[in-house]
Amino acid sequence: MFRLALKSVRHNPKRLILTAIAVALGVSLVAATQTFTNALSSGFSDLFDDIYSGTDIVVESDPDAADEDDQGGDPFAAAEGVFTPADVEAIGAVEGVSIAAGGLQVNGSVVGPDTGDEPDDPLASAGGAPSQIFNWYGEPRVDQSTVVDGRGVQADGEIVLDLDSVENLGYAIGDEVRVSTDAGVDEFALVGTVRFGEDNSLQGATLAYISDADAHRLADDPNYASVSVIAEEGEDLDRLASSIGEVLPEGTRAITGEDKAAEQTEALDEVLQYVDIFAIAFAFISLFVGAYIIVNTFRIIVTQRTREFGLMRAIGVTGRQIRSMILLEALVVALIASTLGVVLGYLLALAFAWLVSLFAGDIFGTMTLPLEAVGWAYAMGGAVTLVSALLPAIHASRVAPMEALRESATGGKKPLKVRNIVGAALALIGAVLVTVGLYAGLDKPYIWVGAGAAMLVIGVTLLAAQLLSPLAGGMRRPLSAWFRVDGKLAANNIQREPRRSANTAAALMIGVMLLALVATFTESLKSVVTEEFASTKADLFATGAQGPVPDGAIDVIESVDGVAFTSSVGFGTATYDDMDYAVAVLDPATAAETYEYATDPAIGELSDGEVYINPTIEEVGVEVGDEVVLTGPEGEAPLEVTGLYLSENEGAFFVTFPTGEDLFGDVQVVQTLIVFDDSVVADDAENPGGAVTFSEQQEAIQEALSEDFPLVILAQPGQLEQLANQFIDLLLGIISALLGSALVIALLGVANTLLLSVTERTREIGLLRAVGMKRRSVWRMITIESMIMAVFGTILGMVLGVALGSALVLSLADFGFNGVTIPWVWLIVYTVLAAIAGVLAAIWPAYRASRLDILQAIAADG
Amino acid sequence: MTSTAAPALAASMRDGYKDYGTGEAAVRALDGVSVDIARSEFTAIMGPSGSGKSTLLHTLAGLDKLSAGSSTIADTTITQLSEAQITEVRRKYIGFVFQSFNLIPSLTARENITLPLDISGTKVDKAWFDEIIGILGLGQRLTHLPAELSGGQQQRVAVARALVSRPEIIFADEPSGNLDSRSGAELLSFMQRAVKEFGQTIVMVTHDPTAASYADRILFLEDGQIVDEMREPTAERVLDRMKQMGH
Repeated sequence: MFRLALKSVRHNPKRLILTAIAVALGVSLVAATQTFTNALSSGFSDLFDDIYSGTDIVVESDPDAADEDDQGGDPFAAAEGVFTPADVEAIGAVEGVSIAAGGLQVNGSVVGPDTGDEPDDPLASAGGAPSQIFNWYGEPRVDQSTVVDGRGVQADGEIVLDLDSVENLGYAIGDEVRVSTDAGVDEFALVGTVRFGEDNSLQGATLAYISDADAHRLADDPNYASVSVIAEEGEDLDRLASSIGEVLPEGTRAITGEDKAAEQTEALDEVLQYVDIFAIAFAFISLFVGAYIIVNTFRIIVTQRTREFGLMRAIGVTGRQIRSMILLEALVVALIASTLGVVLGYLLALAFAWLVSLFAGDIFGTMTLPLEAVGWAYAMGGAVTLVSALLPAIHASRVAPMEALRESATGGKKPLKVRNIVGAALALIGAVLVTVGLYAGLDKPYIWVGAGAAMLVIGVTLLAAQLLSPLAGGMRRPLSAWFRVDGKLAANNIQREPRRSANTAAALMIGVMLLALVATFTESLKSVVTEEFASTKADLFATGAQGPVPDGAIDVIESVDGVAFTSSVGFGTATYDDMDYAVAVLDPATAAETYEYATDPAIGELSDGEVYINPTIEEVGVEVGDEVVLTGPEGEAPLEVTGLYLSENEGAFFVTFPTGEDLFGDVQVVQTLIVFDDSVVADDAENPGGAVTFSEQQEAIQEALSEDFPLVILAQPGQLEQLANQFIDLLLGIISALLGSALVIALLGVANTLLLSVTERTREIGLLRAVGMKRRSVWRMITIESMIMAVFGTILGMVLGVALGSALVLSLADFGFNGVTIPWVWLIVYTVLAAIAGVLAAIWPAYRASRLDILQAIAADG
Repeated sequence: MTSTAAPALAASMRDGYKDYGTGEAAVRALDGVSVDIARSEFTAIMGPSGSGKSTLLHTLAGLDKLSAGSSTIADTTITQLSEAQITEVRRKYIGFVFQSFNLIPSLTARENITLPLDISGTKVDKAWFDEIIGILGLGQRLTHLPAELSGGQQQRVAVARALVSRPEIIFADEPSGNLDSRSGAELLSFMQRAVKEFGQTIVMVTHDPTAASYADRILFLEDGQIVDEMREPTAERVLDRMKQMGH
């Protein structure tokens, strides 16, 4: 039986080529991602080994014991110091310790020389790699860096930079280097350059070291965040770590460098695992689409071979044997395709890694094909192919011996009734599941939504056959009018095999549906952004490039002429009822005048000691009039709930600055809104008196800030809106790219179906050619068929996608979505692309059809 | 040799050779055939299997190319034409009736009949159309799909399709081959009437002496050469002639 299957595949490999490619493409996505993440993991594992190879033991806050201390507070700060100098001394005194060096990171940024030039685009300069500023110890095993030129830091006021950054920033030894922190800009003398680890692979970040005292001063912290320990020769590190552990303060730990590196790698692997899962999800979508093609291909092949099967049955082959023969054929295809997919995936990963390393440097370990990737590839490829071939195989096993004797291979038309009933039921259940998942507030809504969407898709696929028939019938007239008989025949062909055409179109539908869903979501998100910025009265937004907006900077801004007032918003994390929540801190009086907060009552009514809550907190059972106790890193505050914030997308609690200071001490300002007075006029306004314009005002403020706070970025609302929209577009772009393979597979499906149907219609096409149809007309006929299927699938997909996307957006109304924006532009683009894709998909089949040898085509037994 | 076809000829061939394959496996299907097909005549081509009769029909009709020699349709030498030009000639001057699979399954009988006109974008001559279907007795069947017609009806639709564009010449390849004797006789008399009443030119390949006896003239083909010709044949004479050829 296996030999028969192999022979059959070998006898007519062409009809299986596109099927194999479809499977291979889906599989390659899995292999590529796993190879890629595997290489990334091994690359970073090497890096972590590098970092911790010098240090024998790392002493740090225990991540398990840590709670609000370093996870809460503000999101920007470096780890807060927990080791006093006395602690470091105590560690140094432990027997077996050679060196115990306190480590401290400063929150700040090394900026380029002050050339007096205005930065061209403040938003662009904000996106640069961050700076890492540490205290210099002078021992390479502790600092993890070695001096290349000059010397190390020996006195306060000195600095060393890594050798790449010196070049990039444009400094030379002897220059004064500007370092910007919360407190303003400090200048340090550059005394040397260092190399980090072996290759200075910092992925573009700037590495700087200053003296111990300077570090404490700039960080405004007398303590150390960690302690690096170098053991004496021959010491057992595990034992030493546990004896150091005995002298440590509460909530800290000692861990060997080796363990620390392993721990970091493990943490990274956990993140990469999500990347894998994400990619496998997209691979599943691709293979799901591929499954449609496989079903179609095997169905057509089975129909074409009906007489062959009839003959086999007549000479005594059992139905079961025919079934296994077809499944074996599928298995052969799956094996070949999966192998192809693995190879393709590996090459893809290599290409992508090469591309990434052009920008990010060599961050990859050796590119090896992980065993899981091979396993996944064969499992997915095999399972999809076999499951898809099952129905056609069963169909083939039911061929009666009599079929061999029939004149025509094409059987009578089965009515679509069963298909319609099953399709409608599936679509209905699917729609209900999606609705339940989105609105019922169940535990794991995505399972309901996912299962519902899959059922909806299959249901609509089944129904599409019914829909396609009258549609093609209706299109007969206009197509005949435009393209004469070619158009009429194309419409007829679609109608003749509604199942086949519907399945083919549905394969494309899936990819387009997801695209339309994402487009609907992102366009609605853009509307939210637009509305947010429309409801602000602020003329400028100030944010920190690498941290909060320093208090000093706000003072500077307010002192500039033409600035009416500013309103700052801060964030912190506080605990309520044992849960961490984001707390927004604002100044009610100015906030009310800069932004239309959706609150009840107005935000201006908020006073010290009071709090507004958002729906999340309401759901926990808190009501207006209740008293809540918030616990922040700096203290507790009992607050009276006096109002509601009607959206979920910002903080859970809203308090005033005095209240915020009770909780967080110094509140980190994430954004300052600036309002100009009436003397400043818009750029495009009539300006006869030569008044200061918006842009000039922005420049004046930037100029005032450049001295001490060069890292504060100013942006007009329009610029920010644009930036936000760019991010949203990027999201759409990434998802579209990932869906690309599903779409390519769907188009292969269109080509495949047409190709097989051309083979099936060989004699018909021959007859048309004999009675005078030109090659060009044959080509056009196939192309029209292809376009109808492609556009039909696309439109179905868009209807479904927009519907699902709208449902999603509406269910997220709590997060500030206030209506669905239908992405008309995208929908039109998709339709046009679908039509073009239809033309492309038709190329090969149309070529084959137009080149058919007429004589062979009309030969009595084709 | 160039064509010297007189205007009275619907088609002609001069010294036509057709070889299939090369070297040892080469088969000569036509071995220097010269033939004239006069207008308004019903010509039958007969011969044993492998005699080259189908090849002669295909090369005359421009479905296949001669290896050497030339052939004309109306006054056009088609041997030198490109594929696209030959398609054009077929469309303008030729109608076909095959043994089987004559109709497009997805088109109704009416649409199948007007297919050649639809392809060339010519308007249907209503009176002519009605006359043809009247003679062929297809009036009640026009909206049916081929699958809903009997074999005889299908072939009559095919003949109607060949007639509707008033082609210079109709080529028929065993048109009655798949029909029972009554339907076959009906079909052949229709073809005969088309020749007599409308002056249609028809060339038919057949191996059935009865079918051939409907023709005005029979060409006998053997081993790629025309070995005999018979005018005003009867079934008995044809049968006798075929027996001589060892058929």
